[in-house]
Amino acid sequence: MSSHAVTAPAALPADSAAPLAGKALMAGLAGIALTAIGLFVSGPSAVALSWLVGVTFWTAIAIGMLMLVMIHHIFDASWSTVIRRQFEHGLSAFKWLALLFLPLVLATFFFDRDIVWPWMDLSREIHGGHTVGHDPLYLKKSGFLSPSMFVGMTAAFFLIWMWLSARLRKASFTQDADGDVKWTFSNRVTAAMGLPLGALSLTFAAIYWVKSLEYHWFSTMYGVWFFANCARGALSFGVLIMVWLWQRGDYKGILNNNHFHSIGMLMLAFTVFWAYVTFSQYFLIWNANVPEETFWYNLRELNHDGSTNQWWYVGLVILFGHFVVPFLALLSYRYKVTKPIIRRIAIWILAIILIDIAYNIMPVLKDSHGDAAPFLSLNLVWILSSVVGVGGVCVWSYLRSFPTAKLIPIRDPRIGESLTHHE
Amino acid sequence: MAAQPYGLIATFETAPELYHAAEQVRDAGYRFWDCITPFPVHGLDKAMGVKRSIVPRISLAGGITGFITGMSMIWWTGAVDYPLVVGGKPLFSPMFAFPVSYELTILFTAFATIIGMFVLNGLPMHYHPVLKYDQIKRGMDDTFFIVIEARDPRFNLANTKALLEKAGGKAITELEP
Repeated sequence: MSSHAVTAPAALPADSAAPLAGKALMAGLAGIALTAIGLFVSGPSAVALSWLVGVTFWTAIAIGMLMLVMIHHIFDASWSTVIRRQFEHGLSAFKWLALLFLPLVLATFFFDRDIVWPWMDLSREIHGGHTVGHDPLYLKKSGFLSPSMFVGMTAAFFLIWMWLSARLRKASFTQDADGDVKWTFSNRVTAAMGLPLGALSLTFAAIYWVKSLEYHWFSTMYGVWFFANCARGALSFGVLIMVWLWQRGDYKGILNNNHFHSIGMLMLAFTVFWAYVTFSQYFLIWNANVPEETFWYNLRELNHDGSTNQWWYVGLVILFGHFVVPFLALLSYRYKVTKPIIRRIAIWILAIILIDIAYNIMPVLKDSHGDAAPFLSLNLVWILSSVVGVGGVCVWSYLRSFPTAKLIPIRDPRIGESLTHHE
Repeated sequence: MAAQPYGLIATFETAPELYHAAEQVRDAGYRFWDCITPFPVHGLDKAMGVKRSIVPRISLAGGITGFITGMSMIWWTGAVDYPLVVGGKPLFSPMFAFPVSYELTILFTAFATIIGMFVLNGLPMHYHPVLKYDQIKRGMDDTFFIVIEARDPRFNLANTKALLEKAGGKAITELEP
């Protein structure tokens, strides 16, 4: 099983996926169009928040891919060399994600200051009768939560991600042609710089984009929670790509069971990591029982009259669907190496990541009693159309990058080890 | 020498020879036999027909035991044996029992894994009949061996010897018990 795989990648002219790319772009544009129609149906705020869910979901996957590629380089990993190329193609999506994030910023400045982030509008009335501009909890944070900081930081995040991606992609793609080992060392340096930069930028992105929706609230676990979802999303998407390219025939003779086993083990590890972080956040807030923190979960469990709302059940779906089910499923060796099963697990995890992000964003929409707008509503349509809209563009970007380089990094120093990967 | 030997040992010069011989012994249906190699030979477990270890299942059983132990211990001490309100919290909640249960899950999983592994592989083993074979040290250096034990139901001195010869084994020797 191990010895004869090395002969496979002779030419590897990564077949053009152009028809598929066109379809993905059409789906993306259709999703964007449907979301735009939503503006006239559900109002700007609901649709803008749904769009934020979609952009955050796909940005998380792209960030996860970026971090995994850099982790691969910093550890000088061998087994993941054959699948690293697919992540590098995925990294091409950052510029489009930046473009797709832009409408939220433009709408904030040219349409309605608090369309997404309530603190952007200093004259917005908040609970208790005064405005954001007179809220001591805002004023103490106003240096950080200022519109100019938000725009500058968001631009910086995307520039950091695009810059790191461009460096990693260029080095890896050039090595295909010249086989120079200097590109491997260059990538190691990029990873050593990029990992702390990536960790900081994804943390602050999560704080600015998502956590600041409830600027009274604080949780030191938030960036870690976001990173856990980034990594899980990227690994799951990676599995989908692996199975797709396997079934298409590209990866025949390249991947063996051990590659699926290894990525499955990482999925299991990050499942536990996500659970650890998410539980820690909930447990500390539950145990301390301080109103400044508990209100965030109260909003997601109870209505003002004490009855449980839909988000309570969504929370349970996240608890069991994001941890218990994938944890138990991924314990099994057979499930990790059986392609239809691991693919199903990956789709499941991606779906729950979307629910998790929606759980963090959508309850910001409140009715006149201050209760969270229900999960099962028309907003779900705009969330899905946003996910298809942003996702279509991201998949198109991946498929467009796909034929521009070989299927696997054939001249990477670790490629032989990766092709004969064993436990 | 006793009437029944411990088994038969055959020598192979290269890893591929051993690999293909192992496939033949496997296909002949033997169960109590082993390969001795100076280094790990990839894929040999498959050639020998060795199934995946059941240690993970023992680990899982240990983990579940640990989780239940943690939960029930906190519940019994805090809500049954000596009910005491602490910090305005309920007498029992899975929330504060979770860190302890989680730690015990890991601890019991580790115990079950280590103990399960040692019980299944029979280590530490201070004596083994192949150690009496004067060539056995070469199995740590440059030679490969297949040992078929006499307790195997298919073992038959003449037939087993013929099988090992057919599989390419050299210097087929009876081992003392």
